Amino acid sequence: MPSSKVVSRPPSLRRRARRLPFGVAVTGLAAALGVLGSTVLPGAIGTAGASGKVPLVVYAAEGYDSAMTAAFQKATGIPTRLDDDSTGPLLAKVVAEKNNPQWGLLWVDGATAFALLDQQGLLYRGFEPNVGWTTLGKAAVPRDKSYIPTGITLMPAIVYNSKVLSASQLPTSYQDLLSPTWKGAVGMNDPAVSGPTYPFVAGLMNQLGGVSAGEKYFEQLKSNGLHVFQTNDVTLNALEAGTIKLALIQSSAGIGAMLKTPGIKVAFLPKTTVLPGAIGIDKGASKTVRAEAEQFVKFVLTKEGQRVQQSGDPTGDSLYWPVIKGVAPKAGLPSITSIDAQTINPYTWGARENAVNQWFTNNIVQ
Amino acid sequence: MTALAPPVAPAEPGPRPLLRPARPGLGRATATLQSFALPATWILIGLLLLAPVVCFLAIAISPRLFDQGPQWFTLSDLSQALSGPNLQGLLDTVWVGVATAALAVGIGFPLAYLLARTDLPGRGLWTIGIWLVLLLPSWLPALGWERLAAPGGVLVQLGAGDRWLQDVVFGPGGVVLVLALRGVPFAFLAFTAALGGLGREFEDAARVHGAGRLATLRVVVPILAPAIWSALAIVFAESVSDVGVASTLAFNAHFPMATYGLFSAVNNYPSDFPLASAIGWLLVAAVVLPLALQARALRGRSYAVLSGRLRPAGRTALSRRGRLLGLAGVGLFYALALGVPAVGTISASLLRDFGGTVGLKELTLANYRAVFSSSGLASPLLRSLFFALVTATVTVVAGLVAARMLVHSGARRSARLFDFLLLAAVALPGTVFAAGYIFAYNLPFLTKIGLALYGTTTLLIIAYIAGSLPTHARVLVGTVAQVQESMVHAGRIHGAGLLRAWLRGVLPVLSRPLVMAWLLTFCGIFLELPISQILYPPGQPPVSVAINDNLSNYHFGLGMAQSVIAVLLALAVVGVVLGGYRLLAPRGWQRIGGAHG
Repeated sequence: MPSSKVVSRPPSLRRRARRLPFGVAVTGLAAALGVLGSTVLPGAIGTAGASGKVPLVVYAAEGYDSAMTAAFQKATGIPTRLDDDSTGPLLAKVVAEKNNPQWGLLWVDGATAFALLDQQGLLYRGFEPNVGWTTLGKAAVPRDKSYIPTGITLMPAIVYNSKVLSASQLPTSYQDLLSPTWKGAVGMNDPAVSGPTYPFVAGLMNQLGGVSAGEKYFEQLKSNGLHVFQTNDVTLNALEAGTIKLALIQSSAGIGAMLKTPGIKVAFLPKTTVLPGAIGIDKGASKTVRAEAEQFVKFVLTKEGQRVQQSGDPTGDSLYWPVIKGVAPKAGLPSITSIDAQTINPYTWGARENAVNQWFTNNIVQ
Repeated sequence: MTALAPPVAPAEPGPRPLLRPARPGLGRATATLQSFALPATWILIGLLLLAPVVCFLAIAISPRLFDQGPQWFTLSDLSQALSGPNLQGLLDTVWVGVATAALAVGIGFPLAYLLARTDLPGRGLWTIGIWLVLLLPSWLPALGWERLAAPGGVLVQLGAGDRWLQDVVFGPGGVVLVLALRGVPFAFLAFTAALGGLGREFEDAARVHGAGRLATLRVVVPILAPAIWSALAIVFAESVSDVGVASTLAFNAHFPMATYGLFSAVNNYPSDFPLASAIGWLLVAAVVLPLALQARALRGRSYAVLSGRLRPAGRTALSRRGRLLGLAGVGLFYALALGVPAVGTISASLLRDFGGTVGLKELTLANYRAVFSSSGLASPLLRSLFFALVTATVTVVAGLVAARMLVHSGARRSARLFDFLLLAAVALPGTVFAAGYIFAYNLPFLTKIGLALYGTTTLLIIAYIAGSLPTHARVLVGTVAQVQESMVHAGRIHGAGLLRAWLRGVLPVLSRPLVMAWLLTFCGIFLELPISQILYPPGQPPVSVAINDNLSNYHFGLGMAQSVIAVLLALAVVGVVLGGYRLLAPRGWQRIGGAHG
């Protein structure tokens, strides 16, 4: 039917009949949106909490962060808003927000990132909770107390499939990985994308004697067929698919895979680098927010907080070595004293992070 | 309502005055309207689209402006973006974009023709499939291909994998293929909309004059030129801005693309926004290419064919052989575009581990049980549903206005600038678009005057709208270009006010493309990640962020199960909307743009 007729012949009855369903549809849609909106957006706009407490905004990239913020809010009544993301996008946000920070505290893995934030004057200094640190925990507290360690993981763990390799076939040093035995068989993450990978690259450079010695090593590793993936899960996927035989990834991811998947095993090469998970507090935060953030840190380092941290992500980030005395690591974690680990200076290596990562992207990834 | 001066809706450019030749000679009423409407529209566009993009691009030459470096003016980041691997990435991106656009249009046109104009069996099903293709975020198909073709992947374990397959998939070929398959829906929608408005008379005229099928196509295809160019430009821009494939397939193939350079500059620590911005400049510059070609091809011609006299097209009855061939082609497309990602995602969601092993005894529904038993997924799903519904609804209206501005401003400089801005916004990856919102809307003085939009749902939705508007407007341009002004005039002559004349004269004609555009936006936003990730209000993650969290926290199977559920839910919405249109819209509306049969 030509549409001009629709326009030029408007008998009122017919018009009603035609319009009604359309009107109903529009009204229905509007009503549905209203109902949906009111259910999914409670207190979406505006920031004041019901009790007059200011919400604490937590930027975090830990698997247990949502469990922890919920537990903290329940225990203290402080409204806590979580921005849960990977380390890369979170730090990008922190940098983009530099002239007007929106976060109250930041909780990610890697002391180097915090050291750099500190050097840029973005972290509140001088707060250290009164807890009994372990040796590794104490070593991870910076002199100016600009961030607080909350747990230790190691980078890298050597993850392998015991159905493909036996323990006796494993390499015993990083130099071994350059031999023909491991040609095309090694995979790791891109440090420019995977936050925890830079400390591994930096640690290896540190161990080999400096940046240029490290660059030479990675170039040799590349010519021996190194696979670079984006993040832990992709690298693990490649291991299980048989694309690679050894995955060099964060210990928590490796041990998590070991717990979940029969056949997957974890080993460590000398040396592996200590990767502290840590919390930093925004320097520009109001007094109230700062007090809340300090309360959050203290809560995390209580027995109750540690219980939440160890149960929030049982096959992932919860597989860390505690930094306070009296808390045992989760079952499945090897004793940390049995592992040849090193601590790198986060301030020295943090300042080099961007340059090293860019070099890695331009020369090893591509 | 009969007064000549129409009620001024700020975002509604008026029609030309009654009974005037369709030249840009302006009556007083229209002039008044335009003097309000145009500046208002421009201010809105300026605030929503332009400010974030300009802020982001400014950082390349003046990092100091947003505290991102010491210099007030520098060209060093631009020169870095134009050298070494970054330059290689740019060149790769451009040729991949061209190849992708050509391939997507090459697939999209026959597909649209088969579904709109022939009696190919299963048309309804195939049409729904298009929405499914559109729904999948680009990393999902890439992941599916990787799972299939990787050494030790599904195909290899089934004994069908071969070396050549890996070489093709893990290389530029695979990148172009995945991007093109994803671009097909854009081309398909542009063509379906345009074919719908074409009516049958042009084909009939050609056939009456003795043209064969091929010669008829040669008559029809040039009339579709705006849609073809629209499709080419949009697929090019979408491909250029894609990060999902660049960071999976291309990354693993050591095939650097510009977006990956940009992505790693942002994600690197500390984020190198000046370099990211400089790469952004180049991506925007790349868009000039399709636009220039488009402008050249369409200059000085009119494509207004959609009038009140339009006769619905009939469907060509396919011969048995044609039907078989058509089905085989369409089937192949869906096998590649949907089958592969489906196998990848669903198989991964059913596996206990990280998805490496294939074997029936490894399959489990544990991941689905986990999704349903934890409350963590339900609220992000509902939230994203709400965001997508609002965004799609607002975008449909704004996109229509924008498309009209594009079409009716003709050769005016402002229209060309607007066109460029829209496409440039498509070419910028969501990540930098969102970062631009931080720079523009997180200024300290805004907080001081109580306008702290950053970190609120409002800004997230604004960014969604601004992010989908360009694609949306460009998809609609093809149809809007076909609407003859006489249709509103006819209504006015019969005594209808401007609004009613438009509602009852033009809206019915545009209803089907508008519904499609609504779905296009809905599907694009529902699983949108980059903008959501950067701009979501803390404590209220959209579903894509929740999925990404699981994927990046080594809960691969769980994340995949969430993806499957989310896609099914969105598909249900598509079904409801399409079904609702069929049931509720007046029959006359459905005839236009549809076809008999």
